[in-house]
Amino acid sequence: MAAGLGAALFATSCASGEKKQLVVAFSQANNAEPYRAAQNALMAKLFSQYADVKLVISDAQQDNSRQVAQVETFIRQKPGLLIVAPNERAALTAVMGQAMESKIPVICLERDILQPNYTSYVHSDNVAIGRQAGMFIVDHLTKKYGRPKGQIVAMRGLLGVEGEINRERGAKEVFDQYPEIKIIADPVADWIQAKAKDRMTEVLRAQPRIDVVYGHNDPMAVGAYLAAKELNREKEMIFVGVDGLGGPAGGIKKVMDGILAATFVYPLCVDKAVEIANRILHEPRFNADNDYTIDSIMVTPENAAQMYEKFTVGN
Amino acid sequence: MLDLLRRAQSLAALSGILLLAILISPRAADGSRIFLQPGNLTDILRQISLIGIIALAMTFVILTGGIDLSVGSLLALSTTLTAMALTRAWPHAYYTSHILGAILAAVAVSTLAGALNGAIVSALRIQPFIVTLASMIGVRGLAKWLSSNENIDIGFGRDLAAEFAAVFREKAIVIGSYACAAALFWILLARTVFGRHVRAIGDNEKAAQYAGLPIRRTKIWVYSLSGLLSGFAGVLYAAENHQGNPNAGVAYELDAIAAVVIGGTPLTGGKGSISGTIMGTLIMGVLTNMLRLNNVDSNVEMMIKAVIIVLAVAVQRGRNSIS
Repeated sequence: MAAGLGAALFATSCASGEKKQLVVAFSQANNAEPYRAAQNALMAKLFSQYADVKLVISDAQQDNSRQVAQVETFIRQKPGLLIVAPNERAALTAVMGQAMESKIPVICLERDILQPNYTSYVHSDNVAIGRQAGMFIVDHLTKKYGRPKGQIVAMRGLLGVEGEINRERGAKEVFDQYPEIKIIADPVADWIQAKAKDRMTEVLRAQPRIDVVYGHNDPMAVGAYLAAKELNREKEMIFVGVDGLGGPAGGIKKVMDGILAATFVYPLCVDKAVEIANRILHEPRFNADNDYTIDSIMVTPENAAQMYEKFTVGN
Repeated sequence: MLDLLRRAQSLAALSGILLLAILISPRAADGSRIFLQPGNLTDILRQISLIGIIALAMTFVILTGGIDLSVGSLLALSTTLTAMALTRAWPHAYYTSHILGAILAAVAVSTLAGALNGAIVSALRIQPFIVTLASMIGVRGLAKWLSSNENIDIGFGRDLAAEFAAVFREKAIVIGSYACAAALFWILLARTVFGRHVRAIGDNEKAAQYAGLPIRRTKIWVYSLSGLLSGFAGVLYAAENHQGNPNAGVAYELDAIAAVVIGGTPLTGGKGSISGTIMGTLIMGVLTNMLRLNNVDSNVEMMIKAVIIVLAVAVQRGRNSIS
């Protein structure tokens, strides 16, 4: 068995050695999250347009030490370019510094690190997304009651995570300006739809009137919807989410289906990263910026079909 | 004789995988094999050190016929405590004493937690699987509660905490720690009365009891040692990752158990060795490195590992029944 395996591996490594290819190594924090799976798929699709580029993806399975080890291994292989979606800021900072020291261009994707150990950092802004969601909710309540008032349930993701902190902060900045808008419950559902359904069921039992559910991601907003539907109360309130992934399981489809009133696209940041990567690899004179911020897009029933086309990878 | 055979078996497996790793290693620009670069070889040793350290004490636990599922959570508790003590406690202490204090506090707490595991296992006679499953859950909760779910950043400044991280993430320190711990635990198992008791309990607890061996005390010590090494691994984890992370070490218990089992210690206990466990740890480490250097898909990597684990154990069992 070992011999067969060895022969198979040997064959693949020989085959890749024959052509001179540019290798892009991508260290992904956790393939199991749909957002990150979508990043992988889009990246593979975009790089496949370049015949001379070979993309290699490693999965750290949400473990810092494993990701550090994988990046170290990549450094040994001396790829033409390294992309890292760090699992956590502090843990990956030093090893990305090592990559830079080894003269490997590094793109830091979506999450930042403690020191600028990268050529470029491509990211979005969760506070801005929270603010956009907050303003959408205030508009809705103003239309509903003639003035900004109402009762909101916030479904929180895993505590202590940047996305959770800032999506909440941005929205609260907006709500705090209106004394008649109140967050009446903010249970923690760890980003998970099934947990959100359970937590929302409890909230529904306790709260006779709810106007808006703001899920810090789409699955939690959907979980809350399912709980409300079970108690025949889904018409009483609207559901707003964040992430706006494409595909049949993503949040955009949920807007098309009338489950979510809106979702806010948390950009994959991959388009920009691939664009920069290719310019670094193919244009020796190209000087990449240090920071690229990608704006979010609001998805409502009006533009959902169009956004679905845009953000669904594959076909 | 039997023991020798089993050890030869693990050694043969390790040699086979090393040979394969060398053969299929991709080459660097200068034509040398990347796998054999000193940097890569020491990478492997550093990467296996934490699991390796935990697996040493896990060998003792499994030798008594027990299991310790709480090691990952204990690592998380210790890593959190280390970072908290470095960044929040004793603002006026001297550098060295502050660092030493932080390490001692973290290791002491996890050792105590391990002792508690051992005490409950031996006094209440509840199965180790259940006791340590409970502490795996409870200790994780404690770590998260203490840190309010936050990662405690150690940072990269010029302060004490950053200094600690800079020293204890050094390859030489990490690998050296593993080597020292391995040597100590090898002596403890192979050359002391305590080691003989550990084996005797796992081999036949009734007989050990009739022979008047201190079963309770030995078990408490064994689980305390597991807590101690998990705590120490937690200190190294804090330095390596520049943070105290209450979510660290998830599923580490499974990696450690896998290393012990691949190294030839059966889950029923009684027979096995530290050198086997070290070889088991190395096999997993070299295998991971080999597959990653060749860019094998990470899902395929998991499937290959599964096959290796079953094969390693099956081959050893086969030999046992023949002899």
